[in-house]
Amino acid sequence: MDTHSALYERCKNRLAELRETAPRQTVTLDEKLKENGITRREFMTWSASVTALLALPLPFTSLVSEAAELADRVPLIWLHMAECTGCSESLIRTDTPNLDSLIFDHISLEYHETLMAAAGWQAEENLEHAMEAYKGNYLLAVEGAIPTANNGAFLTVGCKGHTGMHIVKEAAEGAAAIISVGTCAAFGGVQAAAPNPTGAKGVQDVINKPVINLGGCPPSEKNIVGTLMYFIMFGKLPALDMFNRPKWAYGARVHDNCERRGRFDAGEFVETFGDQGAKDGYCLYKVGCKGPYTYNNCPTERFNHHTSWPVLAGHGCIGCSEPNFWDDMADFEKPLGRQLLHGVDATADTIGAVLLGATVVGIGAHAVASLFAKPLEE
Amino acid sequence: MTQVATHHRELIFSPAIRIFHWLRALSIVVLIATGFYLSWPFLVAPESSDVLVQGWIRFAHIIFGFALTAITIIRFYLFFFSRNSANERRSIKDVLSVKSWIVQIKSYIWMGNLDKAGIYGPLQFVTYVGISFAALFMCITGLVLYANVYHEGFGGLIWDVSAWFTALMGGLAEVRVWHHIMTWAFIIFMVIHVYMAVWSGIRFKHNSVDSIVSGYDYHKDH
Repeated sequence: MDTHSALYERCKNRLAELRETAPRQTVTLDEKLKENGITRREFMTWSASVTALLALPLPFTSLVSEAAELADRVPLIWLHMAECTGCSESLIRTDTPNLDSLIFDHISLEYHETLMAAAGWQAEENLEHAMEAYKGNYLLAVEGAIPTANNGAFLTVGCKGHTGMHIVKEAAEGAAAIISVGTCAAFGGVQAAAPNPTGAKGVQDVINKPVINLGGCPPSEKNIVGTLMYFIMFGKLPALDMFNRPKWAYGARVHDNCERRGRFDAGEFVETFGDQGAKDGYCLYKVGCKGPYTYNNCPTERFNHHTSWPVLAGHGCIGCSEPNFWDDMADFEKPLGRQLLHGVDATADTIGAVLLGATVVGIGAHAVASLFAKPLEE
Repeated sequence: MTQVATHHRELIFSPAIRIFHWLRALSIVVLIATGFYLSWPFLVAPESSDVLVQGWIRFAHIIFGFALTAITIIRFYLFFFSRNSANERRSIKDVLSVKSWIVQIKSYIWMGNLDKAGIYGPLQFVTYVGISFAALFMCITGLVLYANVYHEGFGGLIWDVSAWFTALMGGLAEVRVWHHIMTWAFIIFMVIHVYMAVWSGIRFKHNSVDSIVSGYDYHKDH
């Protein structure tokens, strides 16, 4: 059996198992689609595009739509740590409810601080109940970095005043799979930038279980929903890259699929924002695009219903899906070769030139002194 | 009338070492020039997008990068295994001798002669070892960057190990930054290297710059 048929069988068995379990929604996905004016045809189109997104062959389309319908069988706990909620926003802030936000609505969302109606003790009880009732079966999504300094005291959540570190460790214990949604949860993000006073870290650095990292500030709704769909369909982690990001989303650099790549190869660069090159859509490398060092599918998937992405809007990539991006990719509007090195406030080239100058002065002094030195005796 | 030779000559650099020295020098010069363009594309955009300015310069950078990689590997091999490099290997003795270090440093500040066991003084030898490892680092980071642009063929073959190395460095941006910073080690090395080669020939009255062309050093007969 080849890889694809093996995957197909695995998915079919997984979905059959899920179908046996009780749905946790009273309304089926079909009814929700009708209610929101989304036709069956649009649903199938969405299924086909998710199939392509996950790099699966076309016959998987029917399985994707089946998995979407069965999403209400998979309990999901979504935790917010030190962050801005931008990743949730990326997913749910749409002008009209589209399929991605509907699936998120349909999946059995047990706990999500931004979206839930409960507050205080009731919210805490919901979380504890969900972790107990679905122990070993729930999908855990974490948004935000985990402050670890002072034993995690920089972040406490809820009426019991537990630290973020405590909550994540506890929730990770009973999770079937863990997804770090966004760069903060994956690598610490902006909070972990130097000097990192709160000791913010990614989820993978505070627990001892495999974590799927969805880099991006925020990741696109497609990458979040695609990862959820992958777990629903196969019940396991997808193939991961060097930083544990799904290969189907982070397998290529932004630079590889950039629509301005031809301009790059031709040596056509924007010199300053607003110049003729910028108007003509030239490459943004010289105004700081970090696409060459950033693995993500932004050029092909874009953001906000496939509307746009930074380079299309005329600004370079800032490398937000990479570890330590706030420090490593600075300055955002200069290429790496012109980066001001931390602590010395000068570029590598300035320091190099100064050292070269010092070398030349030293050589000159040595050469002049040699003229006056006593010759060697034979 | 017959002329009596006052000096005898000694082959100190085998043809392979001389050829690779100059190929390496050429590669380094081209790599620095093209590398600075890749870091900050300073040439004006061409009239037509069909002229791939960045593409051609990157092409040259890659060709000479592979040349440098090959030479770096060969040079490491020759150092350890070539019969003709016995005089190079003898320099390790000088490195381990404190006296030899003092002799060399004193000779550089015009005090005494440069007596040594191998053909390099300890300071010189350690510098060459350092620049050889810097070259190795440049080749490795260069290949990692290459694998990210050319995904098929050789790039595909080294993809997994490149990804491992990228993670080790903390991301592709770090790989690129260190590849850039290390360039300066070569620029500064070249200037000092050329000066010291010329200076030591004059100061110690032996064949220095010419040896890496002809291969011979000359010693006065007593």
